[in-house]
Amino acid sequence: MSGIVCAVRGGPHSQSTISIAITLARETGQPLYFLYVVNLDFLARTTSTRTHTIDHEMEEMGEFILLGAQGRAAEQGVSAEGLVKHGEVGEQIVDLCKELGADYLVIGRPQLDEDEDNVFTHARLENFANTIERQTGAKVIMPEKE
Amino acid sequence: MTTRRSRSNLVAAALVVLLLLLAYVSRSALAQSSEPVEDVQMVYLVSGVVFDEQNVPVKDALVTLTDDSGQERATAATQSNGRYALTLEKPIPDRLILRVERPHFEETKVELGEAVIQTLRAGQPVEVPEVILARTITPAFWIATFVFAGVLVLIATGTIHNTLAALLGMAIVLGVSYLGEPINDGLFIFFFQGALAYVDWGVIFLIMGMMMVIAVVERTGIFQWMAFMAYRVSGGRIWLLVIILMLITGIASAFLDNVTTMLLMTPISVQIALALGINPLALLIPEVFASNIVGISTLIGTPTNILIGSYANITFTDFLVNLTPGVLLALVGLIVYCLLIFRQDLFTGQGHGASSLLEGKLAERAQITEPDHLRKAAWVGGGMLLLFVFGEHIHLIPAVTAIIGATALLIWIRPNIDEMIEAVDWTTLVFFIALFVIVGAIQEVGLISMIAEVIGRLVGDNLTLAMLAVIWLSAILSTVIANIPFTAAMLPVVAYLTATIPGAGNKVLFFCLSVGSAMGGNGSLIGASANMVTAGIADRAGFTITYAYFFRKGFPALLITVTLATLWLLFRFLILPE
Repeated sequence: MSGIVCAVRGGPHSQSTISIAITLARETGQPLYFLYVVNLDFLARTTSTRTHTIDHEMEEMGEFILLGAQGRAAEQGVSAEGLVKHGEVGEQIVDLCKELGADYLVIGRPQLDEDEDNVFTHARLENFANTIERQTGAKVIMPEKE
Repeated sequence: MTTRRSRSNLVAAALVVLLLLLAYVSRSALAQSSEPVEDVQMVYLVSGVVFDEQNVPVKDALVTLTDDSGQERATAATQSNGRYALTLEKPIPDRLILRVERPHFEETKVELGEAVIQTLRAGQPVEVPEVILARTITPAFWIATFVFAGVLVLIATGTIHNTLAALLGMAIVLGVSYLGEPINDGLFIFFFQGALAYVDWGVIFLIMGMMMVIAVVERTGIFQWMAFMAYRVSGGRIWLLVIILMLITGIASAFLDNVTTMLLMTPISVQIALALGINPLALLIPEVFASNIVGISTLIGTPTNILIGSYANITFTDFLVNLTPGVLLALVGLIVYCLLIFRQDLFTGQGHGASSLLEGKLAERAQITEPDHLRKAAWVGGGMLLLFVFGEHIHLIPAVTAIIGATALLIWIRPNIDEMIEAVDWTTLVFFIALFVIVGAIQEVGLISMIAEVIGRLVGDNLTLAMLAVIWLSAILSTVIANIPFTAAMLPVVAYLTATIPGAGNKVLFFCLSVGSAMGGNGSLIGASANMVTAGIADRAGFTITYAYFFRKGFPALLITVTLATLWLLFRFLILPE
């Protein structure tokens, strides 16, 4: 098996990631899988732990985001599948790459100010990419810094 | 025949003997019982009341009467109204000293005068002049204060879960009381029973009942349907869509908790925005602002209102009548403000128009998934609303209404009971219980009294100044401190101001606290749990709401809405006749 996994988070900064994945799929002819991971860690900071409802809502939102990406792929003649997984983002990406025997993994590069509060700093992202390459054998591709 | 007669005579004689015996026994008993009756009459009553320096009754103070030899003659504990009653047996000594002791207060001794002694000897009950206890600062004061501050910091920084932070605080104040007291008396805060006395079970059961009802409603798909209808009705006019979504979110927040409302509204709003090709934050930020301000129109709309209503005995109707006009005024101001700050997204940048693929998906999702449950929930919800409004006439407290409504709904729809029990957010309930204990600790050691006194001195007898102080202090502090613990701590402070400031008896300051603490939540991302939930979901859709971004949008919203609500409260309570 082979394929291209594109982890999609949504938002304006995902657009270049999606474009790269579509272009790559067209060039290599490999099947394209868009992945959205439902992760509810943000609820840990509030008093709400009622994950049963929000989990479903987030899944629907993920499907919706993936539908947009699939629509873009279809416009360019590429058929793509949308997959929604639940859990820790990194783990789910690795699991899917292993499951599909993916050759490529396309992930986004957050467009953040250096002082912004976000766990996906550039340094951590590079480290994350190297780890995934080691674990799955898939080549990690990220958009250039804007 | 003769035998029968002699038998009858024998029985009659036996009866007479028995009666005589009974009469003798009764007389003896009466004679014996007359002596204690005489003794009871010789018990003398000494009563009085104990207050703290702010004229608040002191409960559980130990009151002891000693004679000149130092021997204890009578002892009693004060009740919740500060009253005590001592029963003293004769003989009445020449000198009696009343000693009042309570942890966190200085021991006070009062010698009863000659007139009191004479009155007692004359067999008359005596009412002792009120005793005022002065606070004392013990090591426990600092421990409780640091624990409360520490919990606030842990919650604000998100270092650990809110409930864990509150549990940690509770464990420290109780642990120090039990483990520290044998080492140093000054480390004692309260015993377990004393701590539990601070837990407002009315709040716990009201929240629990409402959670069960909400658990049924949220699965029906009503929110997704309403949001889609808003999308359809707006007909592509995004400014109109924003207004309708703000109204839907606001009204829902008045009856459901804000976090649940935003948990359900945010994902569907993101989808609508994506379908329209606009920035979802242009919908989400106005929605969460509306949720935070409209929720205060009812008793059940915000946790802070539930706390305030239960503590100050403010009814559902009281909130509705006294706050709704101010809330509507603030909402109008908020709508204008939101249309202004998001004008680029709402008027000029109308996105790329609705995608037919995504619109089809939206329509597919906008289904009422459980119409039968929704219908039953509507009936029960309507009944609960009636009980909330009219139940006050029969002293039906909101917690009981919530429990009756939740149980009726569960029996009617017969859901999977495990799922329903799981749907109750137990961590929130534990959070509240632990929070009550922590706030009880700072109340017990005197921190709350100290704060109340300082604010009382600052505002003096000026009700207007007190109103402005409570509203704006609450609003500004709620931007940096979680508003639930803040409100819980402020309740006794506001009660003190209500008791001491002329004209505040109509509970106006509690309404000011409600407005300030809830609307203040709009001032920062950490100001309200609903903000955090909205930001979390938006982030998962790739639209990050940073602290700075939220502050830039939210703080002006706070200034506008709180100003408008303040104007209403001043008009309602200072100008409009009662």
